[in-house]
Amino acid sequence: MDRRHFIKNSLLLTGSVFFNLNNLLPESGIPELVLVKNGNPEQMTIKAIELLGGIKRFINKRDVVFIKPNMSWDRSVEYAANTHPLIVKAVIEACFSAGAKKVIVADRTCQEARRCYKNSGIQEVTKKAGATVLFVRENQFVSVSIPEGEVLKSWEFYRPALEADKYINIPILKHHNLAGLTIGFKNIMGILGGNRGRIHRDFNRKIVDLNRVIKPTLTIIDATRILTAHGPSGGNLKDVIKAQTIIAGTDRVLTEAWAIRIFGADPSDFPLIKLAHSAGMGKSDTKKHKPLTYTFQK
Amino acid sequence: MNHKNLIILRKTIQIIFFFIFILTIAVAVYPFKAYFFTKLFLIIDPLNAIGTQTATGRFNPIMLLSLPLLLSPILFGRAFCGWICPLGTTIDLTDNILNKRHIKTIKIRRVKYFLLILFLLLSTLGFQLFWLLDPLPIIWRSFAIIIFPIAYTLVYGFVELFINVGILPDFFSRVNEAISNTFFSPHPPTASGIFLPLVIFLLILSGSFISKRFWCKNLCPLGALLGIIARWSLLRRHVVTSQCTACSLCDQTCKMDAIYDDFTSTNTSECIICLNCTTTCPTYSTEFKFSPPTKVKQEANLTRRSLIFAGIISLLGAGFLKLTAKGKENDRLIRPPGAVTEEDFNDLCIRCGECIRVCSTSGGCLQPGITGMGIAGLMTPRADYHLGYCEYECNLCGQICPTEAIQKLKLKEKKRYKMGTAIIQKDRCIPYRLNDNCIVCEEHCPIPEKAIKLDEKKIFSSFYNSEIIVKYPYVIPELCIGCGICENKCPVEGEPGIIVIKEGEERIKI
Repeated sequence: MDRRHFIKNSLLLTGSVFFNLNNLLPESGIPELVLVKNGNPEQMTIKAIELLGGIKRFINKRDVVFIKPNMSWDRSVEYAANTHPLIVKAVIEACFSAGAKKVIVADRTCQEARRCYKNSGIQEVTKKAGATVLFVRENQFVSVSIPEGEVLKSWEFYRPALEADKYINIPILKHHNLAGLTIGFKNIMGILGGNRGRIHRDFNRKIVDLNRVIKPTLTIIDATRILTAHGPSGGNLKDVIKAQTIIAGTDRVLTEAWAIRIFGADPSDFPLIKLAHSAGMGKSDTKKHKPLTYTFQK
Repeated sequence: MNHKNLIILRKTIQIIFFFIFILTIAVAVYPFKAYFFTKLFLIIDPLNAIGTQTATGRFNPIMLLSLPLLLSPILFGRAFCGWICPLGTTIDLTDNILNKRHIKTIKIRRVKYFLLILFLLLSTLGFQLFWLLDPLPIIWRSFAIIIFPIAYTLVYGFVELFINVGILPDFFSRVNEAISNTFFSPHPPTASGIFLPLVIFLLILSGSFISKRFWCKNLCPLGALLGIIARWSLLRRHVVTSQCTACSLCDQTCKMDAIYDDFTSTNTSECIICLNCTTTCPTYSTEFKFSPPTKVKQEANLTRRSLIFAGIISLLGAGFLKLTAKGKENDRLIRPPGAVTEEDFNDLCIRCGECIRVCSTSGGCLQPGITGMGIAGLMTPRADYHLGYCEYECNLCGQICPTEAIQKLKLKEKKRYKMGTAIIQKDRCIPYRLNDNCIVCEEHCPIPEKAIKLDEKKIFSSFYNSEIIVKYPYVIPELCIGCGICENKCPVEGEPGIIVIKEGEERIKI
């Protein structure tokens, strides 16, 4: 996808959303999916949570919240390999404002953990916001059985993520050579133990099985800038486009499918969406279920 | 100040310097940038300076920093050995614990001069072997790559145990984060090839069973070098002869056996000015004063016969090393980024373990090599991609190397520096072996353009019972820098499906 394509797509998208605004709201009046655009990452996150009905809808007083950003790579913010730190910051602050007891941020990184935590910029903002940054250690994985798993019957999961009351998934939308794109479902890799490379064989079904273990309370997808090629680690600014978009929702399949559309691809080309939908994880039809869109005025 | 206070002063200074020494190791880690400080105990070492420069035949101005220590014996004798040397302090500690009966070893103390001469000759013949016995690199590497990692592994284990069992979990979590986020990597370090350095260290300490400061008086080549100059030391032991009762207490308390039979004259080449004799003297007639050297009998350091012997051994040794230097070309020998050409690398590397220590807090690939590098290359750092890989954004090993065996590379240069080339083992690689997708190597490749590309082929898979597109990885050697993250992360268990060989490696010519 090139820049022109992207702009065209997002224009079309905004248009379609604009005219169908009335069908968007479920009966309760609170949308299950929102799309916020054109603001700075922090603003957009705050707005997205607000549109979804406010943080208190998700976080109760004295909750322990586990936040899973993508901070797997030793790359700085502009390379779009890791979640934008300001989004993580906004979510942490929201959680605390709802009375969360503890907010944990962790990721099993692909490169040396301290480099990734530091250079992604997430460690610093997280600490400042008062959350706990944990380094993922080998002996904190527990084996979890997946009875309804199709191909995987058990895997090792990171204990703090399992023990938390709420799990907020904050992936970044980027290119990946195996999955096509890596978004929210693949972000679960960061709380897995064991030889993760093994998951790549029969990837889609395995990823769906693994996602059966943890259902995120909320998924916030960072599309503030998108790595369009040479993902997931990137490293070339030419591959990064500015998109200034955040997709947030409670339906993890629908958020995923809409992120794919934002990227300019067709969700029906992604077997993962179909598999996740048939596993009962959420809605997959982006034509029927559209997000509530909010655009910041410049 | 009375004598007892002086000994307290000496011990305090020993502890302070030991603490500084430990600090130089502690801060040789990823987030800190105190590069010069971490080298402190290595760049002041005259043996390093002499050995590396005679062996390579090149002068490096940084080595002038070793002059103060080299000249210090003119003023203070071997006070460095008694007051500062961290290995000496360690030996004092093990002496206190292990030494039950002090046996005098006067007869063999010439050995250290012999070793000094032998290694000097070998250096001039082009083989720097001081690393084998030079106390400062020995103590640095022993703490940095053996004791520190073991201590951390133990602390880590216990702390994790407490957390898991539920004893003060919050407190210990905080301890854990604090330790692992400052002086170590969050993951316990892994090691290969530390057996030989461990044996050398244990052998040195086991001298305590025989005699106090066994190493320092009999084997240490740095002690020998300082001892030669200390012959003319201005600070020396004085005994008021008229008050001496020849009770021999000073002689019994002397760790270095430096007091002659008359109890009043001292071998200043051996005396490390520990001041113990001043307190044991019952008549208070012993003290240390600055005064011009008096004529006292000095034993010969080396006989002519042993000099000739050293000459012959060094010639034979050099010949032997030359013969064994070029064994079978080892294509799996990957050197740190910025390493100078192999022969100079072996000569410049003092096996201090600085690069290995700092790497363990980053990519963690550098390990002391034991096999596959010839005898002249023993214990030099090599990249072991089973245990780690070279972090793309890291150039710490070159920043920290005290002898520039690993040259300083700017981060920009380092990211283009070629350590080797990855090659795919098609009989192990998952796509080639199973006709299924994997792409883990491609995914981890840090090169912005990706040195590993994927070749797509549509095939019918009986595993999925449908047509699938399989992505077969292949390496672009021109882009690959041999960082080894592909080899390290390859999900194939055991021997990976992609390995790095040294083909195309850059080496810096000095």
